Amino acid sequence: MHIQDGVLSPVVCAATGAIALGAVSYSVHRLKQSVGDRTIPLTGMMAALVFAGQMVNFPIGAPVSGHLLGGVLAATVVGPWAGCVAMTLVLFVQWAMFSDGGLFSLGANVLHMAVIGSWGGHAVRMFVQRFIGDSRKGIVIGSVVAAWASVMAAAALFCLEFRLSWPPSEIDFSKVFTLMVSFHSLIGLGEALITGVAISFVLNQRPELICRTDNPVRLKNRTDRIVRPTVASITSTLVAGLVVALAIAAFLSPFASSFDDGLETALSQIGITDFNLTGRVPGLLEDYDKVPVPVAAWQTLAVSIAGIGGTLAVFALAWLLGRALPAATQNLNSEATGE
Amino acid sequence: MSDYLDRFGRGQSMCHRWPPLAKLLSAIAMILAATCVPIAHPLIGIVACVIFFAHTLARIPLAYVARRLLFFWPPLFLMAISLPLSQSGQTGWLLFATILVRGTLSFSTALWLVNVMPFDQLLATLRRLRVPDVLLAILSLMYRFLFVLWDELDRMRTARAARLFRKPSLWATWRSAAHLLGRLLIRALDRADRIHGAMLARGWDGRSRWIEQPREDRP
Amino acid sequence: MTESQVTSESSAVRVERLSFRYPGGPDVLTDISFTIAPGEIIGLVGPSGAGKSTLLQHLNGLLPSQLPNFVGNVSNVPGQRLTDQVSGGHVGNVPHVVIDNLPVARQSIAEVRRRVGFLFQDPDDQLFCPTVFEDVAFGPLNLGLSEDEARQRVRDSLASVGLAGYEPRSTLRLSLGERKRVCLAGVFACQPGVLALDEPFSSLDPRARRTLIGILKKFPGSQIIATHDLDVVVDLCHRVLLLDAGQLRAAGPTADILGNAALMERHGLEVPWRLR
Repeated sequence: MHIQDGVLSPVVCAATGAIALGAVSYSVHRLKQSVGDRTIPLTGMMAALVFAGQMVNFPIGAPVSGHLLGGVLAATVVGPWAGCVAMTLVLFVQWAMFSDGGLFSLGANVLHMAVIGSWGGHAVRMFVQRFIGDSRKGIVIGSVVAAWASVMAAAALFCLEFRLSWPPSEIDFSKVFTLMVSFHSLIGLGEALITGVAISFVLNQRPELICRTDNPVRLKNRTDRIVRPTVASITSTLVAGLVVALAIAAFLSPFASSFDDGLETALSQIGITDFNLTGRVPGLLEDYDKVPVPVAAWQTLAVSIAGIGGTLAVFALAWLLGRALPAATQNLNSEATGE
Repeated sequence: MSDYLDRFGRGQSMCHRWPPLAKLLSAIAMILAATCVPIAHPLIGIVACVIFFAHTLARIPLAYVARRLLFFWPPLFLMAISLPLSQSGQTGWLLFATILVRGTLSFSTALWLVNVMPFDQLLATLRRLRVPDVLLAILSLMYRFLFVLWDELDRMRTARAARLFRKPSLWATWRSAAHLLGRLLIRALDRADRIHGAMLARGWDGRSRWIEQPREDRP
Repeated sequence: MTESQVTSESSAVRVERLSFRYPGGPDVLTDISFTIAPGEIIGLVGPSGAGKSTLLQHLNGLLPSQLPNFVGNVSNVPGQRLTDQVSGGHVGNVPHVVIDNLPVARQSIAEVRRRVGFLFQDPDDQLFCPTVFEDVAFGPLNLGLSEDEARQRVRDSLASVGLAGYEPRSTLRLSLGERKRVCLAGVFACQPGVLALDEPFSSLDPRARRTLIGILKKFPGSQIIATHDLDVVVDLCHRVLLLDAGQLRAAGPTADILGNAALMERHGLEVPWRLR
């Protein structure tokens, strides 16, 4: 999932960096507001946990194995703000210790895994929980759907960034995007499965550790702190809607190149002829022989299958995990108090 | 584990002795050069030479760099190869080469930085650059307990392997891996509670305070 | 030091009728009362799960939801009389913990934690900074000391645990014994009057254990040590409290309690070799 330096153009890196910086700063701001004296140890530990948790291998085929990404898991345990900060630090340390992911593409990586993963994931889970309730089943189903949607949303965003990074008229992006989307729907399935099983395990063993509602700070042993809901439900719904829209966009992205032509025509009509976000040095890519844009039938088929199959699989998974849990549906505190 | 990670970070080469800020800035400059210069331009060769020279100066073994690159290339290659495969004509191959070269150069630069700058030095540098205290406090806690969690994970994995008598099915492997994760999570959160207690016991009130470490030679 | 000398006026620690349970759980502590005189070393013994750690945590106010909220202004001035601080002139019948005349309450918690140094069982829980220097300086800086004072404290307390010059070392690269001693240095740096030690000797090798005993013997204040290592208790402690199932079963001079075979047997303990 990590984007390395060199994949995105400098301008796109700068833009995603700025957006990510804003989002993380806001998270830090919210974190400071809600700061109890336990926020820092809890967030630090969560970051260390996601980092270490990514070392747990989930075998797929002989040489290939997947691992947790962790954005939704972090948000489910410590809330969206602390989750976002923890994920950001995980990505930073991965660069600073292993040189995994790039420095300039850190912004894009943070946007995909920390911001979409934690903010978006939390919002989607809250949205799902509104229909199913704050019961264990609601939490598990919510987080499974959230994990899957956040990966797909990240994939859509990546396609967009990639598309803006390279000269649009020279490349047929549809095949690249097809590959990307198929690949990410697998990653999304894995992430949904891992997150779901891990969360239902914790819910069975120690239900009080899970952040159930919009309150990001766990209240164990703490009665003296006033905690107010930190995500207004409207904002939460909006963010959830955005993430779901992005996830859907992922499946449309392979067809985006035909849309591009339309966009370019529109832009040229209003006077913007050169929409060059690539930051490339002129003279590098002179041959503008336009490649025809064939949206081959097999692509449509592949993406549709990936999309529909993936969606069905995630919902089936959510349902199964929800069923596997004991049908305890009482809310928050009644069961959270017992160790 | 920690010894493995910054094996070369405690070295004493010329690069290790540079001021930390200089190391960070020169790495950023090199990555900037590597990602902005078009690969058809002769400058890219010079950038590559500078990076290679920096590695030699820092006495980072070539075999180590090669091994890291070996693990770095496949995913980047997969990503990049999709471009030429989906196009006709040269453009795709040019982009393919661009992504590979830029990725490799910036990865090697980052690798150099990782190996000449121990993590606590990086933390101190970030502090000088006025990164918010909250972030740094969380970061240093995370770094500290990363290794504790890794050791814990290692022990749990060994314990699991010790009770595994035949190859389990794929689903069973996944389930037990996810349970491992869940157990690690529970332990980590319990530890966070104990750390919180230990911090309170020494007067912690949610604000981090920090003073410069006395300058002494590292053992 | 005998029981009769210990009056409530001169006590370093006084616990009266303390009971505790986690919300919804069974009683962990039931009606515990005892005092510790200044300079006295107390051994807290009992089988696992007896409530030893929970009792120690009360001395440091580490279970915040359980803190009493005394009406009135509980001052932080050391040595000021308890009776002057609590409205009505008396803590009365409220169960309470008093550290050097200061009741443990919501208002006094910062000062209580300064006065009571707490050593946790697992040094990894207590060493949360990347380097030894930062870790030992953590307490003094939180107490609001100036930079120079903090540095001085770090030097002094590291020297007192025999680890002078360890400042720049990474906390990841220390042996268990060294980590325990760095923790202790971090506690000493706050200059507490009372030490509460939770299993300080567990899994230490004999040499590290001896070093630690030597350091504790030199500490001038009061100490309460929860441990299974009864030979150390014989060596170190003036008095012993025997805790079982959350109740204080016996208290008295070390040899009397630990030498009482019937009593020890009844609570799942053994008479240490030195007293046989």
